Amino acid sequence: MPHYSESASNNHREADLRALIVIIGSVFVAPLAGWPLHAGGWYWDIGNGIGFAAFGGLLYLMISSNRQFDVTAHKVLGYLVLALTLSHVFWFLLGDAATIEYMKFGAPDYMWLGLVSLLLLFVLLTIALPPERTRVHRQYSDFKYWHRFVAIATIACAAYHIVISGFYLNGWTQALLFIAIATATCLERDRWARLVGPRLPTPVVFVAVSAFAAVAFAAARNLGS
Amino acid sequence: MKLLFLAVAVLIVFIVVYGSPITQEKPLRAHYFGSPEVILPMNFAHNDHTPVNCIDCHHNYTDDTGDDLCMHCHVSNNEVWPLLETQFHDFCRGCHTEKSALGEDGGPPRQCMACHLGDDLP
Repeated sequence: MPHYSESASNNHREADLRALIVIIGSVFVAPLAGWPLHAGGWYWDIGNGIGFAAFGGLLYLMISSNRQFDVTAHKVLGYLVLALTLSHVFWFLLGDAATIEYMKFGAPDYMWLGLVSLLLLFVLLTIALPPERTRVHRQYSDFKYWHRFVAIATIACAAYHIVISGFYLNGWTQALLFIAIATATCLERDRWARLVGPRLPTPVVFVAVSAFAAVAFAAARNLGS
Repeated sequence: MKLLFLAVAVLIVFIVVYGSPITQEKPLRAHYFGSPEVILPMNFAHNDHTPVNCIDCHHNYTDDTGDDLCMHCHVSNNEVWPLLETQFHDFCRGCHTEKSALGEDGGPPRQCMACHLGDDLP
């Protein structure tokens, strides 16, 4: 069974925030690595910045769940990652009528995989909560195994959506860097987990860091190019 | 969670079928230029592109690949028709990002809708 930690020292809070910033920030390294930066316009770049932040949140949840952690906070952050992902989807569907074409038959596979990753995120959250969890998994160890498996599948689909669309990772070096960061968090999470304290960030902190990252990403591209 | 999933699915289907309730203008897919399948409309503001050499786009002026409108060939030729979306996306976005990278006034690649409305621009 998971360990519910009660410790809440200031050191841990600082460590948690630092880890969150490092992991979400690492997702933005590859798209910002190509120089000079190419602006896509504020609307596009903020919308996709939200998408990158959601991907970073997913990686953070993957890493922070590799040690003793606050299960309730993990669940809340899971909801927030879903909220960020939905914001990314509806930002474009509602604001740019032509993007609806990406939801129709004949759309490129990288857009379908983006939709699959959203579907898997719903599956992750639904199956993780009772009564569905106990209905599907009788053993807690089974649940942990499959929860992690579906989480990796979600990350893989989202990474395919980001890399193959090529909107932000134009060169193979940027694509490789992005894949390396995503793979490292999935396979080497023991090492990354040392960054994370037992208390996960509060929802307000998580949303603030994600929003700041998305806006800073758009600003770097649109003001810096 | 199941209700949320249902609500999201219904909302996505609603937007795909009826369009965004927020945006005023919506692209209408049709057989433009005699395309064999329905495609999105495209606009190209010639007046905004006067500094660009005509031949950069109108390659047929020099390579003898036809004398009709660009789109007529690009939707009727069996070799290039399947590449329509990729070719035009790469060509238009590529030129804009290249100029942006050189510090020239190319304007950024924009929202999809900025190009995919009817050709009512001069």
